[in-house]
Amino acid sequence: MRNTAIKKSTPVKSNSQLLIILSLVIIGILYVLSTYDPSSIVTSPKLQMFKMMLISIIIEAMPFILIGVFVSAILQVFVTDTMIRKFIPKNPILGIIAASVLGIIFPICECGMVPAIRKLIKKGMPLYVATTFILVGPILNPIVFLSTLTAFRSQPAIAFYRMGLAFVVALIVGLIVFKFVKSNQLREQLTHLKNNIEEKHQHHHSAISSKKPVKNKLIEVMGHTVSEFFDMGKYLVFGSIIVALLQVFVSQNSLIAVGNSGPAANLVMMGLGFILSLCSTSDAFVAQSLQTIFTKSSLIGFMVFGPMINIKGILMMLAVFRSRFVLLLCGLVTILVFVGTIVLQLAF
Amino acid sequence: MKNKFGSTNIHYFLRAAILLGFSIYMLVLTATGDILQFIVPQLVIYVDIAAVVLMIVSAFQFYIAVLSLKRPVIICECGHDHEHDHDHSHHHSHGEHDENVFGHHHTHLLKKSIWKDIFIYSLFLLPLLLGFILPNQAQSSSLAGSRGMNFGGLSSQNHAKGEVVEIEGNEDPALKKMFKTNVYDKDYAKLGMVLYKQDVIEMKDKWFIEKLQSMNNFVDNFQNKEIKIKGFIYREDGLSSNQFIIARMGMTHCIADISPFGFIAEADTPDQFVNDSWVTITGKISKTTFNGQTVIKIDVEKTEPAVAPSVQYVYPDWDFGSKL
Repeated sequence: MRNTAIKKSTPVKSNSQLLIILSLVIIGILYVLSTYDPSSIVTSPKLQMFKMMLISIIIEAMPFILIGVFVSAILQVFVTDTMIRKFIPKNPILGIIAASVLGIIFPICECGMVPAIRKLIKKGMPLYVATTFILVGPILNPIVFLSTLTAFRSQPAIAFYRMGLAFVVALIVGLIVFKFVKSNQLREQLTHLKNNIEEKHQHHHSAISSKKPVKNKLIEVMGHTVSEFFDMGKYLVFGSIIVALLQVFVSQNSLIAVGNSGPAANLVMMGLGFILSLCSTSDAFVAQSLQTIFTKSSLIGFMVFGPMINIKGILMMLAVFRSRFVLLLCGLVTILVFVGTIVLQLAF
Repeated sequence: MKNKFGSTNIHYFLRAAILLGFSIYMLVLTATGDILQFIVPQLVIYVDIAAVVLMIVSAFQFYIAVLSLKRPVIICECGHDHEHDHDHSHHHSHGEHDENVFGHHHTHLLKKSIWKDIFIYSLFLLPLLLGFILPNQAQSSSLAGSRGMNFGGLSSQNHAKGEVVEIEGNEDPALKKMFKTNVYDKDYAKLGMVLYKQDVIEMKDKWFIEKLQSMNNFVDNFQNKEIKIKGFIYREDGLSSNQFIIARMGMTHCIADISPFGFIAEADTPDQFVNDSWVTITGKISKTTFNGQTVIKIDVEKTEPAVAPSVQYVYPDWDFGSKL
């Protein structure tokens, strides 16, 4: 496999080409700035809003994505496949349940989770376990539970319904993935290397231990951190740009106007969760600010669907999985959360 | 292993520079205090730590980049997904080098075209460029326009359910009777009692959202009290022509989740209150209904133009009850 990849590769590009294109881009920017009055661009309120929104989303995610890429780099350097396999229960149901409660021990939002998960899958974590963790991790953790409880102080039941629905949805999706998805769903590049990982690692360790071990390990971790950061970061930034654009150009009110009663409300709130791509720790407060307009079950839909499937998250998932698998996940979660909120509606 | 002074090195340096750029940008934001335009105060410390970490990582990346200029670069092959165009054989020569530089090429994304490179780095450069070029200010009400109004404060107004209890402590019993509430809203009742005893209720940055919530929970107790508030003017459908909203933007995490928190105000000369302008209003509290909720209304008595604060947001304090 590796050899085919090598054949496909192009020769190393000369940097003069890159420099030429970079200079062209800079000239282009300068041209735009000189022809149009820069102050009119700068003072455009929409652009201003877009800028504030984009930077806010990126800065807020920065600490978490850094944690994620660090964990990933450390897993890369210090944890082997065998170690991972030992920790994963053989029984699939147990595996899924273990994945569901993993979030309780590692309370971290999806920005931090996706890079770590990606590494874990590469090191042999089964797909259904990873899927479950990606879905439920951002919700079923103590920080999110507390923030939901705080936002809905007078209705603590909402926090429990949120956790419960998230758990059930992730469990079902995990089982479906276990039962029906047998083929490899990782982005192709990841899979070619799986067989070689172990051997390479040993190789590494022996190579390094004879030299300056600490320094090399450190540089290795740092090197991985940077590459992971850029690998995940580009999806995060791209997602943030889309979210910021939508936030600037699509008003919350126009979405609310689509429907705020009956099953339509549940779908609208799920759609809002998808578009806003909020951190799961803060979305409860947004949900509660809408509770005079929306039913409780649709708010729960917002708080369960949003953290599982949202623009930012989908883009980050695309860094790990094949597009078709991401699509399958979106479809499954949409149906399950929708059905779940309808059931809750009847229960209220 | 092909190693020229080629695109690999450019990537290393570019990456290091971008990381450094983000780190400096975040540190500048903290230094100027502008960081509060973007995130809530509780998160600032995490962003600072992230900035320092980025700085360190960037330093290492520069180091790797410089080393890669001097000697053959050994790219770590531990199952990473970006190694297609590395020579396979360099693996076996791993141990032969005195010093290994571990880095990544990321050619799986870059191999197709140089435009893809440029696109990806532009993605990272865009926020940096916008950040350094554009001012850190957003018009409050242009943001408010796309969001629903919040009168209730952050907690639920629905306190019909649950047992109604009095607050403990050695307050005036008559007062405690006025501020009976369910167990969940006790903190708001306590805050309400504090506010009730004030001659003029002043809405400042601190506990803006909590005070709003408390007063709207006990609308009847605050009738005819004096209130003074500074905020921006903003209008919403469903208000009568002599009404407008005076509000502050509340942020719970980052700008993506901000929403306006405010009071309906009523004036004889509503035209003098221009949308987006900042004013200080003094008035008497009465009540009205909006979207089926009974909420506080301010009958404007006195008004003066105000300067918008440098940081326009107010932040919820979840722990305010214990600080009373």
